[in-house]
Amino acid sequence: MKKTWLFLIPVSVFLVLVIFLYLGLFSNPRQMDSQADGKPLPAFSLPDLMAPNTTYTPDDLKGEVTILNVWGVWCVTCAVEMPYLTTLRQEQGVRFVGLYFDQDLDPDFGTKTLTRVQQEVTDMLSRYGNPYQYNIFDVYRDTSLDLGVTGAPEHFLIDHRGVVRMHHIGDINQRVWESKIGPRYRALLKEKEEGS
Amino acid sequence: MTIQKIRGVLLVGLCFFILPVFCVEDNFSFDEPAQRAMFLELTASLRCPMCQNQNIADSDAMIAHDMRRKVYALLKEGKSEQEVIDYMKARYGDFVYYRPPLNAATLWLWALPVLFIGFVAVYLFRKPRKIEVENREEKLKEAEALLKQDDL
Repeated sequence: MKKTWLFLIPVSVFLVLVIFLYLGLFSNPRQMDSQADGKPLPAFSLPDLMAPNTTYTPDDLKGEVTILNVWGVWCVTCAVEMPYLTTLRQEQGVRFVGLYFDQDLDPDFGTKTLTRVQQEVTDMLSRYGNPYQYNIFDVYRDTSLDLGVTGAPEHFLIDHRGVVRMHHIGDINQRVWESKIGPRYRALLKEKEEGS
Repeated sequence: MTIQKIRGVLLVGLCFFILPVFCVEDNFSFDEPAQRAMFLELTASLRCPMCQNQNIADSDAMIAHDMRRKVYALLKEGKSEQEVIDYMKARYGDFVYYRPPLNAATLWLWALPVLFIGFVAVYLFRKPRKIEVENREEKLKEAEALLKQDDL
């Protein structure tokens, strides 16, 4: 009786450890629980990137299911996903709104003019396609911080009530769209039609 | 001393004078030294969400830069240390603070070592007595058997 315990305890401890470490092999350390998920958009009042006299607030994103795409011209992955996003817009009518923030534009020591930022954006969109309805310019990167953005590209799936329903870190490609974001997007469209 | 030797001494000396130049970083100025200490402590204990194993004081990622700026702004507004931590946690989760909270999932971090010590202690202090008792019983049995043999 006692000998079986002496054998069973170390073996079970070992097994638990092996399972724990084995699962650890496939876990993604970059996976974080988003704090924005399930909450309404944080309050903001930001200008349109191309027409700074227009101001957007979270209310402007209500009424339609929207994917808010955090991006910038300096972001290589953003350039890679842009043609696919454009295809999604053209073929499936997916509504993308850009949340643009600039890396070189240091809010404390402004070095870049708005005209130059606009020029860079226009160049990039004409080269890779324009998936956006419009771009919100996060001048001081405050809204990105409020949303828990860690870099670019990131995507926020927002329902017709203006609530964040999914926070996707990384790009959208065909695989991600078909397995993760697309089904959720269609479910939200249905939700909107049913008015629930 | 030859000119070469003097030159050597000067070169070595110069190396030490260059060092402090690298220490210059962001220009955050504080009126009170206590607030400055709090800023340094906070930026050292908040974790950069982008670069995983660096705190925001060390990291040069844009997000770390923005977070330093935010910490500074919040402290300037007169927010307490805990309020700044809560502000960041509300946006980036428990991940952002190096000290994990005590909840159902993290309880094991504290409980496991204590449990382990407890088990080992129980094991170590109980075992010798048991062996003694068993041996005594066995020996008694053996002795009785021998006695019986003698009787026969």
